[in-house]
Amino acid sequence: MNRITITGAASAAVLALAASTVHADETITFVSWGGTTQNAQQEAWAESFTEKTGIRVLQEGPTDYGRIRAQVESGNVDWDVVDVEGEFAMRAARAGLLEELDFDVIDRSKFDERFVTDHAAGSFFFSFVLGYNENSLPNGGPENWEDFFNVEDYPGQRGVYRWPSAGVLELALLADGVAEEDLYPLDVDRAFAKLEEIEDHLFYWGSGSESQQALASGEISMCMCWNGRVFTLIQEGAPVDYTWNENLAYADFLVVPKGSPNREAAMEFIAHATDAEQQAKFTNLSAFAPVTPAAEQYVDAEMRPHLPTDHPDEQVSMSIDFWAEHGPEIAERWNDFITN
Amino acid sequence: MNPDRNWKTLLPAVPGLAFLGLIMVLPVAGILLLGFTEPQPGLHNYERLLQSSSFMNIMRNTFVVAFLVTTFSILLGFPIAWFITVASSRLARIVLAVVLLSMWTSLLARTYAWLVLLQNSGVINQTLIEWGLISHPLPLVNNLTGVVIGMTYIMIPFVVLPLQTSMAAIDKTVLSAASVCGANRLSIFGRVFLPLLIPGLTAGGVMVFVMSLGYFVTPALLGGARNMMLAEYIVQQVQNYLNWGIGGAAAVILLVITLAIYIPVLGFQRQATTNT
Repeated sequence: MNRITITGAASAAVLALAASTVHADETITFVSWGGTTQNAQQEAWAESFTEKTGIRVLQEGPTDYGRIRAQVESGNVDWDVVDVEGEFAMRAARAGLLEELDFDVIDRSKFDERFVTDHAAGSFFFSFVLGYNENSLPNGGPENWEDFFNVEDYPGQRGVYRWPSAGVLELALLADGVAEEDLYPLDVDRAFAKLEEIEDHLFYWGSGSESQQALASGEISMCMCWNGRVFTLIQEGAPVDYTWNENLAYADFLVVPKGSPNREAAMEFIAHATDAEQQAKFTNLSAFAPVTPAAEQYVDAEMRPHLPTDHPDEQVSMSIDFWAEHGPEIAERWNDFITN
Repeated sequence: MNPDRNWKTLLPAVPGLAFLGLIMVLPVAGILLLGFTEPQPGLHNYERLLQSSSFMNIMRNTFVVAFLVTTFSILLGFPIAWFITVASSRLARIVLAVVLLSMWTSLLARTYAWLVLLQNSGVINQTLIEWGLISHPLPLVNNLTGVVIGMTYIMIPFVVLPLQTSMAAIDKTVLSAASVCGANRLSIFGRVFLPLLIPGLTAGGVMVFVMSLGYFVTPALLGGARNMMLAEYIVQQVQNYLNWGIGGAAAVILLVITLAIYIPVLGFQRQATTNT
């Protein structure tokens, strides 16, 4: 973390000297989830931003919603642009924790309309896909979420995300025969009733690497996994495959905490990060999909089939608004379900 | 002690007390207060928590883990403390150093080390499979077993140190006297040795129990979703849902329970000290 900050700041400082603009002494702080994702964001967005504007970008992390609230409420905001999950962006906007985006600086029309709101601009998007271990299921893998619940023909444990977030209730309802267009508002009771059917076959993974390890080792025979994680496993030669059928799309967003002293520079940063070229560069580094359709032309050809952007017909878009509103109460039910 | 001397002893403690007061007590009090004020003033946060079956499951998990960890820490720590007490001073120093060293290593590093050892593809399971003792990996992690193993390991020093102090303070002639008077080994242990160790045992046991109640990192990493403990629940509420009121209320409940355990023990210890 420190190393990233220091090298980031150092290279930014050098670039700032080279660039002769009015912003030469300005610095913004960008906060994301650390690891390979944030490294890619730094390389694809922050470095070229500093080059272009002279505004330095300090990298910090990981994102912590509690700290955003604490900073806004104390009036002492030192995070300028934060990468957050979709539902939090909506909830925070409603709680008055976010600056409104300046659409004179950010071009609203360039976004896939699912991924932009008054207070939040898409950062990247991803899908939960149905991945499976070929050794555990030698007679062929599951083809949809209905198969996910069929423990007779497809034995073994099923991995699902440990935290109460969009995805697991959706797949249960799809498996139970709910049509895509009737998914929202989610019938929470029905979803939990469906999940109870395979209660003893559920394995809860808490992090992307845990899902990968469990799937590759065959500890679980299938899972709802982030598409990029299964893709990496296959690249590493693990006996794993997946289907894009009923892939569940969700997004991360960029937001500006209310009271950011560098509001204008933050808006410029978001405008830059969501431009086609920067979005594509990030996609090529991370295997997360771009939120601006124009970016697709710059995405490496061999990467395209592995991105949710290439599978729109099999795609189910999850409702960020629904989760923003009902997330906390569903969390209670979810905690009850998993601890019982 | 005259009041003047009392004041002089207090003076050097003022910076430390002020530091604790400002840096710890005030913000903690603020967070605890949130449990009563957010989103509206009143007791509704407590009402919601006490009616929630998931909160009850989480409280049950928390106490089960704290109880198991305390029991195993004492069972495993007792012989270590005894060994340090009776071994030659050089050997005792080495064993004590090992105990302390484990305490000084980063908590996160030690917890990850357990993950490497306990997981299905981990050292323990792979070795047992290679030796043909088991055919499928034992579920050692992402469950209660993992949490109890990882936390017991971390807590053992907190039992060994006070116990060892208690053991070292025992006058060996008392044990000899019991033996001379015809007591067998078992009754010397049960009726003379163990009662003399009660202050050390309660100090160590209560410390481990109370620390375990609020533990976060190890259960979060080594436990499965079913083993969610109170600290993890509070983090979820505060960080993910911005429910600071619920988080504060849960923290108050934890604090009240901790004090309810701790205060009687303090009183008991004072009694035990005056008796000896």
